[in-house]
Amino acid sequence: MTVERIDFFFSYRSPYSYLAAPRAFALADRFTVDVVYRGVLPMAMRGQAVPRAKRLHTVRDVAREAKRLGMPFGRMYDPIGDGAWRCLLVGEYALDVGRERQFVLESSRGIWSEAIDVADDRGLRTVCGRAGLGWPECSAALGDSTLRARVEANTTALVDLGHWGVPVLRLGDELFWGQDRIEDVERSLLAAGLGRA
Amino acid sequence: MSPRGRVVKRVVPRIVIAESQFDAPARIGASARRHLNRRGRVELYFAFDDPCSAVALLDLDERLRDRRVDLATFPVIARGIAGDPAIDRKRDYALVDARRLFARRGIALARSASVTPESTAFLAHWVAAAAPGPASRRFCVEAMQTLWLTDDDPVDRGRYAELWRDAVETAPDDASGQDAVARNEKRMRRRGGYETPAAWVHGQLYFAHDRLEQIGERLDDLGWTVAR
Repeated sequence: MTVERIDFFFSYRSPYSYLAAPRAFALADRFTVDVVYRGVLPMAMRGQAVPRAKRLHTVRDVAREAKRLGMPFGRMYDPIGDGAWRCLLVGEYALDVGRERQFVLESSRGIWSEAIDVADDRGLRTVCGRAGLGWPECSAALGDSTLRARVEANTTALVDLGHWGVPVLRLGDELFWGQDRIEDVERSLLAAGLGRA
Repeated sequence: MSPRGRVVKRVVPRIVIAESQFDAPARIGASARRHLNRRGRVELYFAFDDPCSAVALLDLDERLRDRRVDLATFPVIARGIAGDPAIDRKRDYALVDARRLFARRGIALARSASVTPESTAFLAHWVAAAAPGPASRRFCVEAMQTLWLTDDDPVDRGRYAELWRDAVETAPDDASGQDAVARNEKRMRRRGGYETPAAWVHGQLYFAHDRLEQIGERLDDLGWTVAR
């Protein structure tokens, strides 16, 4: 059986990534695809300006969309800076031990709906525990330069693909930007006959 | 974490959300409007050079037809993030995205490459300077159809002048268009919009091409349902 690969470019600072994550990972349950997590640095930490109007509109729009999707949202703690970096590093460790899906879902839910400060050990430890990850290993990942290099490579890969924001899903040569384009990915997967029986 | 950091990262976003969910003034306004037998209104801020604006305009034109709701068209030229380094990539991706969005409705995009804002600026000037209403809206729809669903040639001003005469039955006004477009751009920013297509629906702003269903739901919720 052919198993296609979907690269899922994700940022812990992007509320749209949070909205996309459950459905993006679930593609692997419904189609013969591997969904490969690719954590990237937030736009604002890559030197890209995010104007006030965009920030305000994003928060308002995500609040409406979260309600529509039945996802909790609103009690947030912006992880920009250390919080984003720490999640990215633990995310790489989680990928190595096959628990990236659990970590992404738990940490983003904590950030965007429980106001968990992931820049703080207590906050990060909470979401790591919920994802089934041991704190000593996660704590070690925070100082691992190999993992840091992988995050930087993911960020460069996104830019090299010609994209700027997240979430982005890559299926073959096709790129899909936005939590509201997952249905187009599904359409492509169905057209390719990759639905699970 | 400093107190200031805590306020910026935790308190401010929650205030923004709480404020956005305070919908009572818009609801009261909409209710009063319906009781006075007035029509609902969707303001669409769009750009002729933006294929996603074509998706939104053509869809809303159909979607609102069976509701007592007016579609007010506000063409703009300046849009997006000032100094955005990804502007060309966004322009190219918009074409890919619009192709997929039209495909959801079984419509094929004819244009194979993006068009520049300069090449379609005259369309925005004409529409912005004209009296708003059904004739102007009809021209917008026909121009967008021609631009994105029929043509793959360079933008030909003469062709659109013919469409204008058929729809509006007057000569297009170039002279006052620039100021009128600037007013539309200012109005879009006042509504909180920064990119097209943006739809303002009685107190709520939407990315119009992404949220077409939600715009319909908002109108249902405010009582401007589809006529049976």
